[in-house]
Formats: sequence, structure tokens, C-alpha cells
Amino acid sequence: MRRLVPAVLSATVLLAGCQGGGGGDTTGSNAAFDPKTCQGGTLTVLNQGGITHLDPARLYTSGGGNLPSLLFRTLTTRNRQPGEAGTKPAPDLATDLGTPSDGAKTWTYHLRDGIFFEDGTPITAADIKYGIERSFAPELPGGAPYFRDWLAGAADYQGPYKQPGGIKSIETPDDKTIIFKLRKPEGDFPFLATATQFAPVPKSKDKGAEYEAHPISSGPYQVESYEPKKSLVLVRNKHWSTQVDELRYACPDRIEVTAGLDSAVINQRLVTGAGQDANAVTTDAVVGPEQLAQLGTGSALDKRVTRGEFPSTTYLAFNTKKAPFDNPKVREALSYAINRTSVVNALGGSAVAGPSTTFLPPQKALGYQPYDHFPAGDTGNPDKAKQVLAEAGLSNPTIDLAYQNDDSEGIGPKVASAVQEAFKQAGVTVELNAIDTATYRDVTGKPATQPGLALATWGADWPSGGPFLIPIFDGRQIITAGGNFNLAQYNDPEVNAEIDAINALTDPAAAAARWGALDAKIGKLALVIPLTHEKDVYLYGKNVKNAYADGWRGQLDIARISIK
Amino acid sequence: MIRVLRKDRGFVAGAVVAGLMVLVAITAPLLAALAGQDYTTYHDTLLDSARGGVPSGPLGGISGEHWLGVEPGTGRDLFARLVYGAQVSVGVALAATALEVLLGITFGVAAGLGGRWLDAGLSRVIDLVLAVPILVLAVSLLAIVPQDWPRPLLLATVIALLGWGGTARISRGETLTLRTRDYVAAAQVSGASWWRVARREILPGLTAPILTYAALLIPYNMIVEAGLSFLGVGVRPPTPSWGQMLSSATTWFRADPLYVFLPGALLFLTLLSFVLVANGLRRALDPRQTEVPR
Repeated sequence: MRRLVPAVLSATVLLAGCQGGGGGDTTGSNAAFDPKTCQGGTLTVLNQGGITHLDPARLYTSGGGNLPSLLFRTLTTRNRQPGEAGTKPAPDLATDLGTPSDGAKTWTYHLRDGIFFEDGTPITAADIKYGIERSFAPELPGGAPYFRDWLAGAADYQGPYKQPGGIKSIETPDDKTIIFKLRKPEGDFPFLATATQFAPVPKSKDKGAEYEAHPISSGPYQVESYEPKKSLVLVRNKHWSTQVDELRYACPDRIEVTAGLDSAVINQRLVTGAGQDANAVTTDAVVGPEQLAQLGTGSALDKRVTRGEFPSTTYLAFNTKKAPFDNPKVREALSYAINRTSVVNALGGSAVAGPSTTFLPPQKALGYQPYDHFPAGDTGNPDKAKQVLAEAGLSNPTIDLAYQNDDSEGIGPKVASAVQEAFKQAGVTVELNAIDTATYRDVTGKPATQPGLALATWGADWPSGGPFLIPIFDGRQIITAGGNFNLAQYNDPEVNAEIDAINALTDPAAAAARWGALDAKIGKLALVIPLTHEKDVYLYGKNVKNAYADGWRGQLDIARISIK
Repeated sequence: MIRVLRKDRGFVAGAVVAGLMVLVAITAPLLAALAGQDYTTYHDTLLDSARGGVPSGPLGGISGEHWLGVEPGTGRDLFARLVYGAQVSVGVALAATALEVLLGITFGVAAGLGGRWLDAGLSRVIDLVLAVPILVLAVSLLAIVPQDWPRPLLLATVIALLGWGGTARISRGETLTLRTRDYVAAAQVSGASWWRVARREILPGLTAPILTYAALLIPYNMIVEAGLSFLGVGVRPPTPSWGQMLSSATTWFRADPLYVFLPGALLFLTLLSFVLVANGLRRALDPRQTEVPR
């Protein structure tokens, strides 16, 4: 939970855009869609980044990713449905979502029958255990930090190459059973089990860092050719069938991925749809203003778009250890002054961003409860802000605002200028402090170097309140060495205790309600100023069918689309 | 010389436009006040948020209040931003050129008049400066400089520090030619100091070639400034510059063509006018070139 910010992920990790999430709408084209007759054709995927790595140990995905999830089956996977149904996990290699015991500290899974690797070898529980163990190897960095944090006695494990003894807290009593023993109760374990680290890896085929040249598939496709950062070609895996996998439709016979393209170029190619581009989709190039200006005008393009919401919040983070932000009145005053309309416009308008007054994005699965403790209206309330500032004895202050020096992650000069202008209306002078995007999180994530006020963004590893709130507000997650996300440096034992209590819940609905209540409670302290939540708009080619944004990530799921 | 220049229609047109741009840059606050606008105020109500934040209305939201429309995504007044942008584009180019000329003459004359070893040493320095790819080094330099340095001044300094090689080489070459002239030799023989020779005998002879070269440097420096701003290491927001406006306009060229056209056209016009001035100067000042057909 310490590290993830999806925007970073999509840049570093990903094989698949790890974007995507909450509510979404199905498009009209899948009205009479039948997964039994959808097979055939070659699908083209046009992406900006991704396919930097293909090793399941090195991928940091939300819900197993888009492209990785075609190669790697995991214990559980995302439900692959639009809307709220899609925010739930579903069994994949396992027969169910897992059986918790010992107060959610032990999780037991049983594997289904008839599952094979691409070479016909049966998949066993030991293969899954080995896959998780190798993700601890320093030779294979990049995965999510949860495993080391959660698994009992695994904090210092160095991977099977150095310590072939393995992790004692993962038990495989027989070929079909795998048991996880955790350090603390974790009701969200079935969500974590969607990560690619839960994909089986046959020990005999493991070549360490070279494994990713041809990872052994357990999913509907296998690698035909792979050139990191450039191209990936997938063909059918003969040993997979819809009989043993109800969630992936695997319609195209062949999938050709090209990465390294410019976002504007991708979207223009999708609009034009010439030749093979008619069968194309993208998993990481959200539409730009060029296309937005054409959308919603009743043009043919309106039928070739998915709209989803990845649970993500862009916000202003106060360092409450630094004056004047140690004064709650100052933080409240700035909360009143913010103009969310200009921030939304700076991010690309109301189609791709919505105003947020809560830290949790508006997804029910995360426990969203609406609140607006410091009402600023759509465009800010500078008079109220000035009044609260006067109460704090600090009229017309000058403050520094840290932001990234480019707009690639949505916390760059555009948003910073909008914030600067909004605060100016309240008599606050903002000095802009641009920090190189590559080092931004190193500077803000280290309390010693952290600026007083910084633009930040946070996304969910899975649709639940825990991974959204814990790294930001759990006082035990303040990391002084660097990599800190609790930018407020807020440590309240009462809140920490509530987090532990919610973590032990295995009923997502009960947990969601309490995460929402916790968010509303912390919101009163004005530790952050929530600005916007993310909306994702993706175009797809003319021949693409059954394209809808899944509820987990807000982007279309390649495992379900057809080009026939 | 002035009579020659007056007859040169290209020079006159260039000088008029260039002068106008300088005037616009100087009077930017006045012009913006005349329009009743400033370059920082957001106008969210003038944007169509659902369509990505393009200005509502045709031609980028041109109206009686916003003479050239508003900026997509923010609603800031384009007229105000363009005239203030002239301050950065023209100002940085002029300041950088002045500094380059100063550095170039100093190093060039010193190398030309100095002994064998000084000449050899300085010439290698000049070669080094000439060999450095300006844009690449400037991007890295500007990225590491602390935020609170005054940005336009910094831009001018960095451009000048990386770009004085040309003026230095010309100064050195001219100095080497001039020092063989009788009147210079006479001055040296009569015991004039090194400094006096440089100032009284060499500098006047340098005026013509340096003036011509400097006039060409101005548009070149303007391109470098626009390039740096385009790459995001130029002026800080909310300060506008034409290069920065072109950069943010790249994603809007279909949705709001005027937003690309205006800074592009202004940059083009200004560059063309300074080049015309430079060519006119060269024709008037360098008799060897007057015979060359254009």
C-alpha cells in the first residue's frame, strides 16, 4: 500500500494500462453479443507505454492488468463487468474467493480441475507458491509491496534463487490446496489475489530475469514474439479453453500490440480507422481535446467510445509540520478558496475529470460518502476564505506550491496555474515550485525535503477503501527514509485503531461503510484539499464489439472484446 | 549608409514590423489595460467544459471583450497573453544577443590581439562553445537551476553563454585582418597600449560585421527561446511566451485553430522582420556582398 500511484504505474509497470475503474456504461454495440460465436480475426492494440516488462513478478497492475491478464491466470481476478458488479473479485484458478479463518489472518484456496500451462503441464499449487516467492527476489523488482507487508515472516525473504527454502507462511499440503498465513488480519486478501504475482510459474522453466522473454502462459493466449517497450504478438494457447475459464471470452485469434506511440497519434488513428486500425483499441491513451470536441455532437464517433472511472483523486497535500499549514484555520481557508471548475478545465474538461470534495472518489465500492465540510461552490468562495484567514491572523500570505514540471500525470503546470489563480482571489500569493517529474515523489515522499504544499494524486490498487486511505492517513505509514505518502504526517492512534478494525472485516459492504465514515471524519481536519476525481474516455476502432469499461479499472477489457 | 537602407524596401518593411513588435513588448501592460484584460484571470464561464474546455462560440471565443478570443482550458484572454508574450520573446532575444555580442567581442579581440598562446587557448574555448549543441545543454542547465531565479533573465543568460561562439570567431577573424593594417601597426609602434589599440583602432572596424551578425542572431535567439519554452523549460506559468503558447496549442490545433495560428503567425512575422533587417544591414554595410545577386 505504500507505493502505488496508478499514474506512475501506467508509466513504469505496465504491460497493460492499469487504469480503470468504477461506474461505466455499456455501449450499444454489444446488445446481441454471444461469447460462443465471437472468435476470429486479429486485434491491434495501439499504446503509448507499457510492455516494458512481461514477467508476472515484475508487473504492478490493478486487477491483473489488461494485456497481462490474457497470459496469466491468477487465484482470483476482477469480475470483468461494467458498473458496480465489476468492482468485485471473482474466482479464476481457484474455486472460490478463498476461505478466511483465524480472524482473516489465514486464507485457504483450492484450485479448480483441468487447468494447464501452454505446454500441457498441469498447474499445481506449488507453481503458484513459486510465482509469489520469486516476486520477492531483488533480481525481479517492481511488484506491489503488499506481499512483504502481509505475509507472516516474509519481510526479509530474498527470493527462491538465494533462499530456495521458500516462504514458510505459504503452505501447499497437496497439489490443489494453497494456504496463506498473514501477519495481521486482511479482509481484502481476495482483491490482492488478482495481482499477477499470483500467477503460476513452473519452476523448471524459470530463467530468472530472462523468463520474461517468453513467460509460460496459463491464460487464453501465449507469446509469439516480444520486444520490450515496442511490440508484443499473442497467439492462442491450445491448452486453455472456455470450459475452465468463464470470465475471459478470448475472441480474437491473434493480438498485435504496438507501444511507444504518441497519444494524439493513437487517437487520430482510431478516429480514422483506416485498414487494420478499424480493429484497434488502446489501453492507455485517453482521448485528448481534439476528440472530445467531436464527442457528444451526435457524430459517428459517439458510438465508439467507452466511459469509465478509475478510482483516483487529485488533491492538494498539506505538510502539517510546516508553518503556516500547522494552523488548521489556514488549511480551512484555502479549502474555501479553491476553484474546482478551473482545475477540471485544466485537466481536460468535465468529460475526463469531475470535482471532488471528498478524498475517496465517488465509487460505492470504496465506501464513498458525500461530504463538503468547507463549501467552496463550483468556483471558490474567496470572501469566506479571506475571513477565515483573518481569523487565523494571516491576511494576504505568500505560500509555495510544489508541482510536477510537466502535465503527464495531471499534477503539472496547468493545474498549478489554476490553483494559483484561485488562491489569488483570496489574497493569497502562490509561488510556483516546479519539480522534475522524475524526482517529484522522491522530494515529496521524504519528510525532510517535503514542501509545505504539494499537488498529489492517488489511485486505488483495487476497489476498496483500505488501499485508498491507509497509505495517506495511517500514522504508522509515515516513512521518514523516503517513499512516504502520508504527506500530512498525520498520526492519530484512534484512526490507526479504526483502520486495523476495518482491515479485519471480510464483508466488503460492512468495510466500505466504515471506510466512508472514516474519510468523512478525517475530512474535517482539512489535511488535504480534494480537487478532482478521474474519468476515463477511450476510443476504439470501427469493427470492435463488446467494448465496455469494466467497473474495476474504467477501461475496456481486452479479454472480452471481439472484432468479428 | 542610411540613404542606402532607406531605398531597401525589404529593410524598411522589416524595420517597421520589428519596431512595432518591440513597441508592443514595451507597452504590453498598457495594451492589455486598453483591452480591459490581464493575462492571468481565468474565465471558466467562456469554456465548454464537456468538450474538453474549448472556448464557447466560433473563432476561439472572439468577442468585444476578448479581442482575439480566450485560451482553451483556462479562458485567459489571448490578446493580453500575446502582447505579454512579446515581452518574453523579443526581450529575451534582444538581451541574449546583447550579451553574446559583448562576450564575443571581448574574447574575439583578445584572441586576435593576444600572443600565439593566448590566441591558441581562447580559440579552443571558442571552438568548444561553437561545438556545443545549444538546445540540449540549455535544457539540462535550465532544468537544474533553482526555481526562484528570475526566469527571463536566466533564459537570456543561458542562451548567451552557449551562443557567443559565432560572434567571437568573427571578431577574432576581423581583428587578425585589421591588426595587419598600417594604421593599427602605426598605433602599436607609437606605443599605444593594448587596450587603446583594441578600443580606438579595432572596434570601429568591427562594427559593420558584428552589427550584421547580431541582427541575424536576434531571430535565431528568438527561435531558441521559443524552443526552450516549447520544451517546458522556459518561463514559469502564468508568464506567457509565444513558444510556450505554441507548445500548449499542439493538442488543440483542430478544436481551436486560432489558438495555434496567433502565436505561430506572430513568431513568424517577428522572425521574418528581423531577418529582413539583418539582410538589409548586410547589403548596406558589406560592399563585397552588394554585387551578389539575391
